[in-house]
Amino acid sequence: MDSCLLMTLQVAVVGPQKIGAVPHGSRVTAPIASGHFEGPRLRGKVLPGGGDWTLLRGDGVLELDLRVTLETDDGALIHMASFGLRHGPPEAIAAIARGERVDPARYYFRTTLRFETAHPKYAFLNRLLAVTSGDRRAEGPIYTVDEIL
Amino acid sequence: MRSRPLLTLRLQTAPTQNLGAGPHGTRVTFPIVGGAFEGDRLRGKVLPGGDDWTVQRSDGVLELDLRATLETDDGALIHMTFEGIRDDAAPGAPYFRTFPRFETAEPRYAFLNRLLAVGVGEIRADGPVHLIEEIL
Repeated sequence: MDSCLLMTLQVAVVGPQKIGAVPHGSRVTAPIASGHFEGPRLRGKVLPGGGDWTLLRGDGVLELDLRVTLETDDGALIHMASFGLRHGPPEAIAAIARGERVDPARYYFRTTLRFETAHPKYAFLNRLLAVTSGDRRAEGPIYTVDEIL
Repeated sequence: MRSRPLLTLRLQTAPTQNLGAGPHGTRVTFPIVGGAFEGDRLRGKVLPGGDDWTVQRSDGVLELDLRATLETDDGALIHMTFEGIRDDAAPGAPYFRTFPRFETAEPRYAFLNRLLAVGVGEIRADGPVHLIEEIL
């Protein structure tokens, strides 16, 4: 599948809200306090107020449901939503939970994402799908976002 | 992004249901009456009863929202959904891409529960074909 780099995105999560055992698994909501993104066609910051609604399923897979608002350096607002999966060997997942740095090649952390914007300059984002590869750091994940060509 | 082929999906759809202009655009549903899928790790047929709920947005892009049940040749049922977009006005060639997801209770296909995938769609004379790759 052909793809090209759209941007790298880093978000800072604060104060995970442990909702606990719900019918579909174990739910934790991670509010997003800030972040930034940079790529050849867009760069800027992540506005506070988004979050990642995560659900740890019974089969050990963590489902990620992220929504954030991006603000480009020239003032455009972009709504971004993604769905992802994270899983891996128990020792890698345990190390992540302890806040340790784990080589992202040791686990599967991928998301699919979509954008919406009203700004004509960035309207191309309304017309593409993207895939990310994630690197879970203690301070928040770093995503490499590729446009599906 | 690295990927590898997962399956090729061919869908047979019934005459469309044109629901007209709704708040999100023009809604047309495509009931699924059958189909087939094939890949190195799974093959079988598409059961009747699924549907693709599409909306033509004001910017001309068609949004897809599909649900279908796959049945493998060894009898496993797989719930499949995808969302996607089809932009026939994209420069060069139509842009028809989807994000399929799978759910199954069958242990030998449980790998499908743990992967994300991307599909490239094509409209052919006998119906849509989706080339679906697993995101590695």
